Amino acid sequence: MDTSTEAVPTPVPEPEWRGRSEPFQVGDPGRAASLVVPIPDPDGWDRRDTVLDGVALMDGAKKPIAEVRAASVRGLSHRAYGTVRQDEYSFRRTTDGRYLVIGVADGVSAGKLSHKAAIVAARKGAELIAKALTAPNDLTPDNFPWPDLVHAVAGRIERLGRERLAAMGNADAQTMSVRDVAAHIASTVLYAVVDLTPVGGAHVVHLLAVGDTSAWVLREGGRWEPQNAVKNDGAELHSSSVHALPLPPVTDPKPVRTTVAAGEALVLMTDGIGDPLGHGTGAVGRFLADVWAKPPASGLEFAAHIGFARKSFDDDRTAVAFWPVPRA
Amino acid sequence: MESEKAKLLPFYLVIDVSASMTGDKLKQANAIMPAVVDALSDAPILSDKVRFGVIDFGTDALVRLPLCDLLDENVTLPALNVRGATSYAAAFRLLRDEIESNVKQLKADGFQVHRPAVFFISDGEPTDRDGDWRDAFRDLTENFPTYPNVVPCGVDAANPKTLASLIYPASGPKAMQMYLMQDGQNPADAIAMIAEILISSMLASGQSMAQGSSGLILPAKQDLPNGISAHSSDDFV
Repeated sequence: MDTSTEAVPTPVPEPEWRGRSEPFQVGDPGRAASLVVPIPDPDGWDRRDTVLDGVALMDGAKKPIAEVRAASVRGLSHRAYGTVRQDEYSFRRTTDGRYLVIGVADGVSAGKLSHKAAIVAARKGAELIAKALTAPNDLTPDNFPWPDLVHAVAGRIERLGRERLAAMGNADAQTMSVRDVAAHIASTVLYAVVDLTPVGGAHVVHLLAVGDTSAWVLREGGRWEPQNAVKNDGAELHSSSVHALPLPPVTDPKPVRTTVAAGEALVLMTDGIGDPLGHGTGAVGRFLADVWAKPPASGLEFAAHIGFARKSFDDDRTAVAFWPVPRA
Repeated sequence: MESEKAKLLPFYLVIDVSASMTGDKLKQANAIMPAVVDALSDAPILSDKVRFGVIDFGTDALVRLPLCDLLDENVTLPALNVRGATSYAAAFRLLRDEIESNVKQLKADGFQVHRPAVFFISDGEPTDRDGDWRDAFRDLTENFPTYPNVVPCGVDAANPKTLASLIYPASGPKAMQMYLMQDGQNPADAIAMIAEILISSMLASGQSMAQGSSGLILPAKQDLPNGISAHSSDDFV
């Protein structure tokens, strides 16, 4: 036999790349998860579909105090109908390094400009809080004038709304009622101030919510502890009325104080996650408790977690999470 | 405790199959269901959260399509046939029973249920005694915690005043509307147009639910098909 033409088996080369990205599903993903074709919003080319962050906060000795993950993901419905993501988040540390301030906002969907309200509420609100808390100011989270802050943020949203409406040719923009402005531009918001100097291993957290954006502490053992009332508890039929700025809250919102220690996580989230999380005792609660028992490796991974598919839950999803790092 | 419940909007079509519906009108009535199936097939966001059911009524009322996921492969669409008189009372009583048991079942199955929506299509006057159907309607609406949003739709010989009294809620921020065939319109075509309104309402409602709002949305007046007019309860007193 002439062996000269027989192919010499070449060794299979080691693959030069690895890795994969696959959507998370919790229970029945529904039809929308696989069938929705995301389309852009022609009025919002610069509004990103997904934004995310993953950072560590360091102490003076360059040792990590905490890990922060954040992401805001456009919901399947906004992708399907070609409208922008209406959620927004922000976080910033006071320049003296003492506090981390987080803002999470959810634009009210009926308002075409509501994503702009969410941007103001999340970013400007956090900025105002951080500035006010920076030493040597006398303000601390314990004596913080929350009603003034809420009023200031509401005023900024209202002004922006009037400006935008006027620019869009609405002749009544400057004289219409706040309620009419709010029909076009409104947002819920949740702020957290985390004291980065732990006391007895735990960080004190002050929370203030206007509307149904919710704060949770993921305690050890995967138990979700809500820091405000769970929506629609005990309601006969599902309803979704919300309080949103620039409309002033009926009563001054009351800050909530809690603590978060190493082994736990503080999570602020819009109702796009809060609704499927429910009381945190179902499949979504178990899923998020599993994947967030430790900080995910990256903001990208965190964004994939909050973008999980579950039938009928297609709202925008936004979360900011804070994991204290165990101190030696 | 079960949490994180999926949200559902139950949508009912309640349709008159009295003797006067014979012919093209019945043909168009039968075309509504496949049209809804087509619309849902193209709208995955919506089809994940709408349940659809059909009740017809003549001398009596019957559940022709139990509330279901229309895209479920096990669903068979019924063929509607005409039968006798026009008992609004029978339709309202059966609808109340259905909504009560459907909502109960959906909640037991772990869903959050939005207020049901009802499109009520008739081409004639009720043949019940006035007090009978009005009592049955009150039991379906005022005396019922899970009352539906009712959108009456009239074609042909339907009496606008009678139908206007079926708009529910008739006032307030979530007031419903009534749709009427305009004079000179072909009644069969009008039924097809009402089907369009029903579908666009389902689509808009699904979109609004997706954005966190509650329940039923009706199309804007300028988006209505030519030949159909929209009315609030104030328009006919």
